[in-house]
Amino acid sequence: MADPIKLAYFMAVKEGASYLGGLLVTDTSGIPTDFRYTEPITPTRLQSILYGKSLEPHLKEEVIQKTLLKELKAPPDLFILSATELAGGWSGDAKYPVLAVQKSQEAPLGKVGEAFRAGPRELLLQLADGAAPLRVIFAASVDAMAQEQAVVKLLEAGYHMDLTEPLERVTAALQSLVVKEA
Amino acid sequence: MFGKVKDAMADAAETLRQAFSGLKVVEVEAEPFQLRSQTSQALAAAGRAGLEPPAAACREMCPLREAVEGRSLEAFEARLQAESGWARWGAEAEVIRMMPLEGGSAARMAVPPLPRQARVLGRLEPPVRPASRRWLEPVARPNLRQLSPGLGAVGTRFGMQAMLSLAVPIRGEDIQSLPKGLWMRYSLQLVRGTGENVRNLEVLGLFRVPRKGVADLRHDPARGRLLVRLEPSALKAPRAAFILARRKDDGGLVSCFVEDP
Repeated sequence: MADPIKLAYFMAVKEGASYLGGLLVTDTSGIPTDFRYTEPITPTRLQSILYGKSLEPHLKEEVIQKTLLKELKAPPDLFILSATELAGGWSGDAKYPVLAVQKSQEAPLGKVGEAFRAGPRELLLQLADGAAPLRVIFAASVDAMAQEQAVVKLLEAGYHMDLTEPLERVTAALQSLVVKEA
Repeated sequence: MFGKVKDAMADAAETLRQAFSGLKVVEVEAEPFQLRSQTSQALAAAGRAGLEPPAAACREMCPLREAVEGRSLEAFEARLQAESGWARWGAEAEVIRMMPLEGGSAARMAVPPLPRQARVLGRLEPPVRPASRRWLEPVARPNLRQLSPGLGAVGTRFGMQAMLSLAVPIRGEDIQSLPKGLWMRYSLQLVRGTGENVRNLEVLGLFRVPRKGVADLRHDPARGRLLVRLEPSALKAPRAAFILARRKDDGGLVSCFVEDP
């Protein structure tokens, strides 16, 4: 029996002057199997000045994401983040495909499982009958072959779960943690 | 090379200058011209007898000399005088002979070294510069502080408790796509489990939920999904097919786990 697919959902939020991130690992039903989050990081004024615009990407990708991934016992099959984060120039890691999933307003494709390639790194994926297809955007580090493998896993998981929903859950959990610690 | 030749020529010129600087110069003072006058004798006048000659005072004129007053008038006597002053002037002209140069005793003189750098004379003195005075106290050297801009390591926390407090949506499977035999099997188990008449039941969906550890369960009819709140024990529990149905007569919800063949 093949190992169950592990989907890792990463989200980093800014609450006030602090940054914190969370990593949720789910099975293909969306049931959480692991969730870790970082302590809030509050950059000093000097750090904010010295890092400038690169502060936020550096914090999210180099500090928060890598710290959380180190805590995982096994690498995930797919590393999913929001389209906004990916558009910010996420380099990703070669160990696992990094991608963003987004609900689209496009007309449904022919049948479930059909894919339409909208660009070298972007495709539409029909996961449910009659529903709008899911927009999948891959990071620049994911080559064509890795994209094909990732699509197979997305189709399998998308049959049982809403692939975009866990990101909302991570955001809600982080916000509740911030409120609790405040 | 050219510089050495130039220095040697300069040394030789200085040597010559110093050698001739010691020559004696005989200064011959020319005698002033002196006019020598000759006293001419007084004219003598020869008296003639007969008439008393009128007495007349005669003054002897001495040229450039004091005049001698004559007491008596002497008779003019003409005398022939010859003036050879010009000849004498020419003869008495003294010829001044220059002393010939004498060779001095040769002596070795120490030639002082020439200065390496010529002194520039007559140079305009630069205008007097105003003396600057520092009126600002020098800024003290600041202490150096090191502050690493690195963001350092960040701690992580296990947050499953927080995550389990959120409802997990579970999407229903498409019943229509199930094999008919399998669906008949599920329907039978539903009737057995709920005790309801199959005609009175409206199946809302088939969901795969953990067999245990489900703390709360709600149906989201708009999206056809179940919202379940799980306990930690649910994470490792096996998943089972779960059928949710609604009674048609009173709208109540009934459910049961069904066994997969």
